[in-house]
Amino acid sequence: MAMSKRILKETERLNAEPVPGISATAHEDNLRYFDVIIAGPSQSPFEGGVFRLELFLPEEYPMTPPKVRFLTKIYHPNIDKLGRICLDILKDKWSPALQIRTVLLSVQALLSSPNPDDPLANDVAQHWKENENDAIETAKLWTKNYAK
Amino acid sequence: MAKVPRNFKLLEELERGEKAIGDRTVSFGLADGGEDIYMSNWNGTIIGPPHSVHENRIYSLQIHCGPQYPDSPPVFKFVSRINLPCVDANGNVLGAKLGCLSQWKAQYGIETVLQELRREMASSSNRKLPQPPEGSTF
Repeated sequence: MAMSKRILKETERLNAEPVPGISATAHEDNLRYFDVIIAGPSQSPFEGGVFRLELFLPEEYPMTPPKVRFLTKIYHPNIDKLGRICLDILKDKWSPALQIRTVLLSVQALLSSPNPDDPLANDVAQHWKENENDAIETAKLWTKNYAK
Repeated sequence: MAKVPRNFKLLEELERGEKAIGDRTVSFGLADGGEDIYMSNWNGTIIGPPHSVHENRIYSLQIHCGPQYPDSPPVFKFVSRINLPCVDANGNVLGAKLGCLSQWKAQYGIETVLQELRREMASSSNRKLPQPPEGSTF
């Protein structure tokens, strides 16, 4: 498989200088496909949780953004039932100057600052807007039950 | 070409299935309330092709994509009763008797198979086959 130097460089750096609370491991049989683990940020409803994600670099990467989704169930207004993430840099705000590292940092930051005004999971967003404390309790409960 | 992993391929297919595909003669979407993170079970429908006994009928199918998809083809089963050479007495689509399943390629998808099934219904040898009553199920 033709692999761009850029992907190899990014992978090397992810291994050599890992980001705190984030790990990304390439599949041996597909170096564009990564198993990702993100630790729930402290002082968020996801604290203490271990979240599994998958990330894929399409053929056109870095001209097109990586594809990322959660495999661990999570109660978050910007993440839907299939783990798809609503994040601008994964769509129209993508720039080839961004990297796997910056994408995963942005996902981690999204866990700290849910944005119910730009929802992907409508029922969760509504819950968040109507009763934020109660929604946060649900998010904590899901973290405890699923993000182990 | 980069090899698209199973889950991301299925997500692409889901997005395509959710939008209108062509003339809507076939459609498909996730079963199980769309809650299964591994997207294994799907529902499909085929609108019976014109100028055949299937005209104006709507056929429902269940589709299963296993862990080896798309290296291995999905498994198709008709819910609506149908009489076709590539479908057994229980509604299972026989892989050996449908070209795109017997010659499966990883770049094919659920839609490929639904479209070929529809072409089978319309083929000159099949389009006049006697059919079970409309709306009956396996």
